[in-house]
Amino acid sequence: MITYKRRAAYLTSTAVLFVSLSGCAGDDAGSGGALQVSGSTTVAPVAADAAEALKAKGLDIIVATQGGSAGGISQLAAGQIGIAMSSKPIAPEDESAHPDTDFRVTQVGADAVGVIVTDEVAEAGVENLTAAQVRDLFEGKITNWSEVGGPDLEVFVYDKEPGRGTREVLDKYIYGEEKAPPPPESGNFAIVGGNLETRNKLKSTPGAVAPLSTSFVEGHDDLAVVTLDGIAPSPENIATGTYPMSRPLYLITDGEPEGTSKKFINYVLSPKGQELMTKHGYLKLKEIGK
Amino acid sequence: MATTKTPARPSATSDEGRRPRPSTWVWSWTYAGALAVAGLLLAVVGYLGSGIGSGTVDWLNLVTESAWSPPNAAFGGLAMIYGTAVVSVLALVLAVPIGWAAAIALSEYLPPRIARPMRMCVELLAAVPSIVYGLIGIAVIRPVIASIADVPGGDSLAAAGIVLAVMIVPTVVAVSVDALSAVPDRYREAAYSLGLTRGEVIRSAVLPLARSGMRAAVLLGLARALGEAIAVFLVVGRADGRMPHGFGEFLDSLSHPGQTLTTKLAGPEPVLAGTSGPHFAALCGLGLLLLALVAGATIWGTRERRRSTRKAGHLPTPRLRQQRDRLLTVWRLGALLLPSALLIGILGLLVTRGTSAFNPSFWVSAATGAAGGGVRDQITGTLLLVVTTGLLALPLGFGAGILIGTHASARTARVLQTLTLVLGGVPTILLGLAGFVILSTSMGWGRSWLAGAIVLVPVVAPVVALTTAARIRSLPPELTESALSLGLTRAQYIRSVVVPYTWPATVTGLLLGLARAAGETAPLLFTATVFFGAPTVPNGIVESPVQALPTHIFTLSQDSGDPQAVDQAWGSAMVLVLITAVLLSAAIALRNRFEGERWTT
Repeated sequence: MITYKRRAAYLTSTAVLFVSLSGCAGDDAGSGGALQVSGSTTVAPVAADAAEALKAKGLDIIVATQGGSAGGISQLAAGQIGIAMSSKPIAPEDESAHPDTDFRVTQVGADAVGVIVTDEVAEAGVENLTAAQVRDLFEGKITNWSEVGGPDLEVFVYDKEPGRGTREVLDKYIYGEEKAPPPPESGNFAIVGGNLETRNKLKSTPGAVAPLSTSFVEGHDDLAVVTLDGIAPSPENIATGTYPMSRPLYLITDGEPEGTSKKFINYVLSPKGQELMTKHGYLKLKEIGK
Repeated sequence: MATTKTPARPSATSDEGRRPRPSTWVWSWTYAGALAVAGLLLAVVGYLGSGIGSGTVDWLNLVTESAWSPPNAAFGGLAMIYGTAVVSVLALVLAVPIGWAAAIALSEYLPPRIARPMRMCVELLAAVPSIVYGLIGIAVIRPVIASIADVPGGDSLAAAGIVLAVMIVPTVVAVSVDALSAVPDRYREAAYSLGLTRGEVIRSAVLPLARSGMRAAVLLGLARALGEAIAVFLVVGRADGRMPHGFGEFLDSLSHPGQTLTTKLAGPEPVLAGTSGPHFAALCGLGLLLLALVAGATIWGTRERRRSTRKAGHLPTPRLRQQRDRLLTVWRLGALLLPSALLIGILGLLVTRGTSAFNPSFWVSAATGAAGGGVRDQITGTLLLVVTTGLLALPLGFGAGILIGTHASARTARVLQTLTLVLGGVPTILLGLAGFVILSTSMGWGRSWLAGAIVLVPVVAPVVALTTAARIRSLPPELTESALSLGLTRAQYIRSVVVPYTWPATVTGLLLGLARAAGETAPLLFTATVFFGAPTVPNGIVESPVQALPTHIFTLSQDSGDPQAVDQAWGSAMVLVLITAVLLSAAIALRNRFEGERWTT
């Protein structure tokens, strides 16, 4: 009995294999005609919603998130995709690494980054920090909130992993063009990834501080945004550039956008497309005065 | 060859074709399997080697320095090696006693009608996507560490070790139960008839036969612990350069953030490092170090036991036999509490958060935009990847496992087993990057579902091979002896005795492997999947991406501020678990029929 059963099993599995192979040995070149968009996980939900809206108009757009902003830029340079999504500007290193690529950058929105502390710390008096204080906090030189006018509570630093737009914004604010030093040799220091993870860990750690998009703190009373050198991250302050920490969100093409790329970018810039920015927690171009 | 000519008996032909035929194809099949395993490993090592060749690696620095800071050209991996060692040892110390005791309880203490559904539940736990384990770690284990050690947050090596222990308990239990249920009942009956208590029967009659399988369970658990990224990622803190000096600092380091080799490699750095230069070379060096660690652990774990260490004459003292037996029963049944509590907790969490999965339209309608509509396309994509991976990995892993289990030379078998385990311990991000370079770029496939399935084969095939090999080692010798005394060639013996005997264990291995593959994110992001816009069924191989549930969950759980995105991520996780549950029950029903049929009575 067993041998027959097994033979039947072999036959079925072989048949399934052939069916699946013949099914894929089909005709045309798959998604060859579609516009490929890839890069930052920050911009991807917005791009996917825009692509959905354009699908009704017969445009075929594929959105991927391979390798984040940096991955998107290098794939664009290699000609593998049509549009790169990025949550950071093109760096001089990108330009020099890909001299043949004519990067054309279109800003489609912005994201205000705040230095976030827990409610306990903010209520005890830490409502404002200077650039020097922020630097000392993230370098592990300030280890207790009482040193900056707060409660007697240990500081716990959550920094973003390298390559995250949020972290680069913070590094630029506290170090300018200089290179950031290695992370502090402290037990009260950990690395976090996405915005949801950051918010989750901020909430569950007394005395925590982390850089995070301000939209993720709205409606969460147990977290607070501190002002930096007395300036709050309001849209006006971001528009005028007085608030130091915001990051632009970009769609990048190689050369002037044409055809489907142009339609896609135009849709994201249109009022309907800009509403998607609000939906996913970012600032519209209008709000920052562009 | 003389041996194949001898069984030329006229009576054989008259037996309605039921007698085994020469079956020489067995050899090409098993060698193809072993070669495929070796070839896949070679591809990964070759990728790492070419990465190392693209820059210079200061090996001494890499293994003796703890500071890691690419912008400052500091590439020291000692702290990560330390983190990996601490986390895996902690996971094994916690998971192995519980896993073994729970397996013995399931197999030897509980009646089959309770044990079978429980065994399925345990296997289901192995299929929960690792990101869910990570979220449980954030919600439950971090606060516990924070309050016990009095540290803020609770991101720590200890938390990572506990999360890993929780993740590998199902693997240890599932593979061990398989090994135990392969022990023929007549051994138990003989032992009972000598008047031994239940504990003594297990100890002296059952465990000696099941030992190799239970040891394989630990090795598989270790391989999973070393290769696991996302769950550890969320609780380990990922802080570089933490290295204790002295015992006090060692204890202190357990409750503080650290970094492991896998989390470093699965983080954003391999992508940021480009494809050449000192940073990329150092990362490839870390990859090779990790593989060397897995190889070392395997060789140590499977080393030859000296005969003298097992005292043949040692028997438990007759005093308090009944009491000790009762104590053992309580401990073994109590060990089942952890997997059960875990199962209830995880299901509870998924059911409350992933309510959208209970709406039928969520399953059958396509996604609209980023987080609207259903996940039909993601489901078909995941099924396509899992089924293709299974079809590729089953014959290869089965063949390799049979070769490992039946090969005459113990040394060759050990080398093959080590290679297989190392392949199973490769962090999947490396598989993804290697697949991206070899399949997507060099072969010009672009993003292709077939590339994704091939990249997942190294995740599944080693599990199949190792469970198969462990089962063969517990094959009762009289089966082999009677088969060979009937004049069967080695090939016929494999076909008619070994394959049917190991089949149930192979199915378990395939299930465990596929369950892990179904939840993999990292390798697919590079080779096979997109977030939005792929057709439901791909119509080609080149540039034919699919969408899949794990990558969908991953992208949605990153940065979106849209509450709908979070809902859909949880709903998708629930769908993934339900799909796996259906696949599991089908395969388990199949296995139970095979298992009950012939061998274990």
